[in-house]
Amino acid sequence: MSKSFGSLDALAPVSLDVAEGETVTLLGPSGCGKTTLLRLIAGLETPTAGHIVVDGETPQEARRHKRIGFVPQAPALLPWRTVEANARLLLDINRKGSPSSPSTSVPELLDEVGLGDFRDAYPHELSGGMQQRVGLVRAFALDAPILLMDEPFAALDEMTRTDMRHLLGRLCEPLGTTVVFVTHSIPEATFLSDRVAVMSPRPGRIVQQVPIELPHPRLPELEDTESFFHVTTSLRSALSAGMDR
Amino acid sequence: MTPAMRRLVAPVVGIVTFGVLWELLVAVFDVRRFVLLPPSAILTELLDQPGFYWSNALVTGRHMLVGLSVSLVFAIAVGSVMAASRFVEEATQPVLVLILVTPWVAYITSVVLWLDGGEPTILFMVAFTSFPVFTFGVVGGMKSADPAARELLASVDARPWEVLWRLRLPAALPSIFTTARFAMGLGLAAAYFAEGSALTTDGLGAIGRRAASFNDAEILWTTIVSSALLGIAGLALISLLERYLLRWHASQRA
Repeated sequence: MSKSFGSLDALAPVSLDVAEGETVTLLGPSGCGKTTLLRLIAGLETPTAGHIVVDGETPQEARRHKRIGFVPQAPALLPWRTVEANARLLLDINRKGSPSSPSTSVPELLDEVGLGDFRDAYPHELSGGMQQRVGLVRAFALDAPILLMDEPFAALDEMTRTDMRHLLGRLCEPLGTTVVFVTHSIPEATFLSDRVAVMSPRPGRIVQQVPIELPHPRLPELEDTESFFHVTTSLRSALSAGMDR
Repeated sequence: MTPAMRRLVAPVVGIVTFGVLWELLVAVFDVRRFVLLPPSAILTELLDQPGFYWSNALVTGRHMLVGLSVSLVFAIAVGSVMAASRFVEEATQPVLVLILVTPWVAYITSVVLWLDGGEPTILFMVAFTSFPVFTFGVVGGMKSADPAARELLASVDARPWEVLWRLRLPAALPSIFTTARFAMGLGLAAAYFAEGSALTTDGLGAIGRRAASFNDAEILWTTIVSSALLGIAGLALISLLERYLLRWHASQRA
């Protein structure tokens, strides 16, 4: 598919298949169309040409059936709702699409991300990292087969960011959820992905797809290994090759 | 003095000083009673027949409360549509501005004729004069709702009423409360004047109008002060509601 905004080609013709249970990261610099591509998959934009199939449905149908858990760049918590109420937000909306018995309840998920004691707190009482953890719980609570994440850790400091990718790895690993993750961080892409689609700007396109053959489960120690270092190096050269094209 | 004590003492000092200066002004310049009655005389009149002023203040208070509530309901209905459609917003805005700037005292006689006076006239005037202010508050507040949150709701196909109820309306509350203070001022003035014009016998406006035509300075000035106290009670009620409903908002945190 492709996408233009007026005369601007945001996304040149792009073709991407994501297998069930696979984690694919869209990696690239600002303006390479990775967020546009994610929003097209989420049905928040419509393609100028081509089409998208999400689990056998159009993105609009997938949204209606709540088959997509979306994690935006900003945590987008509602300041008048407590942590638990925010985590439930997507369950409270369009209720007939909500799972009748989710595999993990909201309180269990909050415990798992270390926010069990903050259930009744308001967003302004939380740090940036804690707010984004609520954002993750909100998406996971839907029990959706597909998770779409738009640079969810971009605004966090480096240390929190590292913790968050380890947490996300731990949450995703046992579920077999299909994940499309947008980032410009090479370590994030390496740690979380089964495959990385390297993108480049003007117009946005996928220049290379790199399979990440690191063992599962991915544990924090992995980041200190030579193989991790090799993958980050190859991604870095793929990125600069894409920029030169 | 601790900050808590200061917050209690300072307003009292301000009001007492104002009262003393007022009393002195009347005594020193020998102001005519009808032009300005000294606070001591107003206090005596108020304590002489507290039930009379209380029951009339309740009537005016009810007029304000009902009129402002009706206005707010209409403002939320109209404001929601305006916030959702740029065309409706641009089409409605000039009409609201027209209502806002037209002096209502100029057309109130026509409203009295149209609605045959009485309570309907008063409630209409309170609601009509405060409606534009409330609507602007609703529209501004709803449009300030976090775009990322709007997108998040769209990702699960939220219906327009869910977006309104779960996101836009709560997001508009802070600005609704801010405009409520202005609306209350407008509503009180409209209620007072309309009671005086609508051929009724109850309400501070009605007794104030009668006192003015009978040159009764005591009742006129005690009515004026009662109206001011009613306004203060209204503001206090708004602040209380605000403290409860906006406890999550930055404005309510120390």
